[in-house]
Amino acid sequence: MSTAQGRGTHAKAILGPELYAKLENTHVLLVGAGGIGCELLKNIVLTGFGRITLLDLDTIDLSNLNRQFLFRKKDVKQSKALVAAQTASAFNPNVKITPIHDNIKEPQYDIPWFQQFDLVLNALDNLDARRHVNRMCMAGNVPLVESGTAGYLGQVQPLLKDRTECFDCIPKPTPKTFPVCTIRSTPSQPIHCIVWSKSYLMGQLFGEDEDADAGGELDAAEKEGENAQEIDALRKEATAFKAVRDALRSPTNQDAAHLVFQKVFNADIKNLLSMSDMWKSRSPPIPLDFEGIMNGSFVLRQGANADASTSKLPEAALKDQRTLTLKDNVSLFIESTNRLADRLRNGEDTISFDKDDDDTLDFVTAASNLRSSAYGIETKTRWEVKEMAGNIIPAIATTNAIVSGLIVLQALQLLRKSYDKLRNVHLQFKPAVPLSTISLSLPNPQCGVCRDTYTVLRCDPARATLGEVVKGLLGEDEREVSVYEGQRVLSDPDWDDNNERTLESLSVTRGKFLAIVDEDGELTTLSVGIALLPDDHPADAPPFILPSPLPQPARRVKPPPPAPETPHKANGNGKRLLPVELDDGVIDMAPTPKKPKRNGLAPASVPNGPVSVGTKRKATGREGEEDKSSPSKKRRLEEEGLVVMDGVDDKLEEEPDFILIDD
Amino acid sequence: MAATNDSQTIEEATTGMESAPDQKTRRYDRQLRLWAKSGQAALESTHILVLSSSSTSTSVLKNLVLPGIGQFTILDRTITSPSDAGNNFFLEGQDSVGKPRAEEAVRLLLELNDGVKGHSIVNKDVKEVLGTEDGVEWLKGTFSLVIAHNLEKGALDQLSDVLWKDAKSPPLVVIRSAGFLAEVFIQFHEHAVIDSHLDTTPSLRIDKPFPALLKHSLEIDFENMDVTDHGHVPYVYILVRVLEEWKQAHGGNPPKTSDEKKEFKAIISKMRKKADEENFEEAEAQAFKCWSSTVVPYDIKSLFGAENVAPHTKPFHLLLKALEVYTTTVEPYTLPLSATLPDMKASTGQYVEIQRLYKDRAVEERDTFKAILDKIIAEQGEDASLIDDEVIDDFVKNSHILRLLKGKKWGALDQDKEKLAEAAASEESSKQLGIHLALSALSSLQAKRQEAEFAPTLEELTAEAKAILPEGVELPDEHFDNAIGEAARSPTADLPNTAAFLGGVVAQETIKMITKQYVPIDGYCTIDLVETWSGVL
Repeated sequence: MSTAQGRGTHAKAILGPELYAKLENTHVLLVGAGGIGCELLKNIVLTGFGRITLLDLDTIDLSNLNRQFLFRKKDVKQSKALVAAQTASAFNPNVKITPIHDNIKEPQYDIPWFQQFDLVLNALDNLDARRHVNRMCMAGNVPLVESGTAGYLGQVQPLLKDRTECFDCIPKPTPKTFPVCTIRSTPSQPIHCIVWSKSYLMGQLFGEDEDADAGGELDAAEKEGENAQEIDALRKEATAFKAVRDALRSPTNQDAAHLVFQKVFNADIKNLLSMSDMWKSRSPPIPLDFEGIMNGSFVLRQGANADASTSKLPEAALKDQRTLTLKDNVSLFIESTNRLADRLRNGEDTISFDKDDDDTLDFVTAASNLRSSAYGIETKTRWEVKEMAGNIIPAIATTNAIVSGLIVLQALQLLRKSYDKLRNVHLQFKPAVPLSTISLSLPNPQCGVCRDTYTVLRCDPARATLGEVVKGLLGEDEREVSVYEGQRVLSDPDWDDNNERTLESLSVTRGKFLAIVDEDGELTTLSVGIALLPDDHPADAPPFILPSPLPQPARRVKPPPPAPETPHKANGNGKRLLPVELDDGVIDMAPTPKKPKRNGLAPASVPNGPVSVGTKRKATGREGEEDKSSPSKKRRLEEEGLVVMDGVDDKLEEEPDFILIDD
Repeated sequence: MAATNDSQTIEEATTGMESAPDQKTRRYDRQLRLWAKSGQAALESTHILVLSSSSTSTSVLKNLVLPGIGQFTILDRTITSPSDAGNNFFLEGQDSVGKPRAEEAVRLLLELNDGVKGHSIVNKDVKEVLGTEDGVEWLKGTFSLVIAHNLEKGALDQLSDVLWKDAKSPPLVVIRSAGFLAEVFIQFHEHAVIDSHLDTTPSLRIDKPFPALLKHSLEIDFENMDVTDHGHVPYVYILVRVLEEWKQAHGGNPPKTSDEKKEFKAIISKMRKKADEENFEEAEAQAFKCWSSTVVPYDIKSLFGAENVAPHTKPFHLLLKALEVYTTTVEPYTLPLSATLPDMKASTGQYVEIQRLYKDRAVEERDTFKAILDKIIAEQGEDASLIDDEVIDDFVKNSHILRLLKGKKWGALDQDKEKLAEAAASEESSKQLGIHLALSALSSLQAKRQEAEFAPTLEELTAEAKAILPEGVELPDEHFDNAIGEAARSPTADLPNTAAFLGGVVAQETIKMITKQYVPIDGYCTIDLVETWSGVL
């Protein structure tokens, strides 16, 4: 028997000749080449899937190697997708693996692109991308197997439009946030100081030059009724950052780190102390004295120094698990600030926190510990800071191996259309019941993602106008509708200013969705995915191709009277875990902005919820000046999850910045 | 390689400004957060023997090599066949065909981690090893754990006999799989777990406060306290205070009847200065801690007096003995205090203060425990250095979640007619039994046949399974039929996904055994991947 024949012997015996023959022609999209992705790629290659597209935007890090077995030390910093495809291809020349080093959220990965696949397998490490792929699969009606792991826990969930609930049918927990003033002036826990260092201080010193940002955040806080005097002091503090920012970027200033220290841990704290009201009922922070700490004459407060000098761990402990003294932290602060300043001087525009970037981790460790010391809060080791700031969760090969095996089994059931065999599987921490298996639930009738009716509109957005497209899609139907893109209103029954404008001028371009919402709430929302015209489309033909037959939105299921706390109860006795667990040692918890431009501390006001929008508001054109919302209205709307666009040139920022930390 | 990175002196490690971890720590970062340095050290000093280089075996090994096991040896004389090459990721396709499978697998597995040593033995099989006294000694003396996948019945029975006979022997992990069915069993005499990572919280001992805690609680001047401070008094103090005053008014008794409990909570509620004081809310919610008496948990008490059957658990038994003496002779007759406090509403200062109180007391109690232990060690004529301080600290800290597992011999179930009859009759275990019997029938029939192309019929397998069950006990119908059907369909298939799944499960359990952290699966873990189901028998 030749290898080629021998290769499939086992798989064929199990799957039967029919399904096995189908595998060779099955085109699978595997999103993610990390912990689960590596295992999964091996499994689907061995199982005999013929065509695999592998997509990942990440590069390989040393901390991946304890589980991502397709990578070697020499591959560090290389593209995960490319290296994984290379390693796995060598194993089975009959399989065609196409690696893509890119972000799955790019516009070219539109609905038709997704529809070329028979099956999508998610092996992602962040909530945002998982939700995006879920939506695309729901829109394109492509079967999806969703998965995640955290330490010894794992989950696998097959998803198929209209047959099972989708990833968004159950609300996901929102990231934890802290009030601005807790972070900026009255921290009481180590995490407050860590968030301050990585989100606020790093942004102020090494982020984009955007003073206005801090101002905006404070304006908002003031309106929310936070202490006005305190806000005022924080404003002063923010403007004074200019001097130190400049020093950090000046090629001649050797004293920049010291300047930063003086400002942040001495002057700013003194400034806060000047507001005696604030400290009537709390213990006030103590300004740190640089020289005093370095020469040993500075006494912080009874007990605090003692804490720092009595190491909790035996000396043999891991190096970064040792407790740093106040002096250690000062030295580390100066040293890491200098390292970061050097990088700015050598051409880096901005530096933001990355847990695998030692310079930033050292900086955040030292800065948060110094702040903690000033406020009498317990300090943390570098190891602990990394976990808290980087939102790290443990990850091991074994859990990923188990989960990947389960993913393929569910994938085979989906391909076989054995829908009664589909299972939602949880790997749990119980020696007596390692796997908990739940039959699948039906879609949540109120789901804002999978209950929409989806269709694809192939068009040239530069020529197609909003009005003709909407009219075309509705056909004979004369019902009243409002049209949205994401969280923006583009038209409603009483407002048709945008109807003559092209989709492109309204930023409705490839990969985006137009949501056509029934004004009476009788029919489900029609979600129209924008795709490009085929290459052979005649130049003189209309600039869009209507789907045929036209999509018919279903009757909406009315929401049940008082909403239960969770729309779905678990079937059977299995407890329903929400899949916040992510592979690859990352969990989405406290988001960090990639750019300091946005309010870095309290992203709670920008939920990335689905499109179902209750309140209306208009994206006005340049000429519609009178409609511009007042600031207070704007804030209120934002609280409701809406983003006010002041004009067509306004760009929606990227999705609320869920940080993709690891791998 | 790793060692040189770690070789700096204590001086360097504690005074060097550089706080960045070495490469090794970075590589293992994500798992160190699960089992810490002690678990990693245990892993790195381990040598594992794997019998077979099947797809399942290499999947297991992959998951042990990646996290950095010390050494492994594969004992297998199989020559790579074309179907192996298509099935096993740790072979090099056509290039490996015709070569010793174990050699190829070891070479490729070692590429995963250059901190691991691997060996292959391809000129003999386990029966030959077991055939000589030297072989048996080598097996028992060299390895910390033995893993056998689909080992032929005769060899497996002999191996389990030999290892079971001597309590010093390494544990034996048995894996049997066929198509979508599988079973995993760990044979060991005794397995002690100090850090089980079970999420039971230790008692705060509010009902039996230690002197410093009581004193502090009684000294708080709630009346004249600033409003903000009042809202930040940790609930522990509040409860200790209210309980003490209650006891004085009730003849030394805590609240007993439900009316009394209500009254007790009302007292707490009335103490509030503002309606929304979270610390008082917490105190009310935790008030039950005042009337549920802190005692030695049943799970721990039941370990006292356990017989020590394996030499490697000797230290654990000495510690257990000390714990028994401690809990029966030292007031207030509870486990030693834990310094770990839950989160509670408190100001930073207050929290640091209560932490210090608990920590100081925990150190005192640990020292008392240690004195008892030293005495026991001396009485038993053991070496005083038998148990180092770190282990004692660990033991005291985890004394509420200790576990001691008593294992069984592989195959003992098939000899236990009563147990079999019971399992067959029970709803809870008939599916597990069905899978176990199907796999047992398969291996015993295969042992009788000794055929190259093993293709048993349903009838043959059913007859074989019936023979295992005692007279008059019926096969668990539906479950058995499903299982035996799968066994007949794919008696020898090592499906990649089953292998991947088992690779994860077995490596996970192996790591638990080696690190002595977390509680391993106890019994026959049976798996049906058609149904995505697992259950323990």
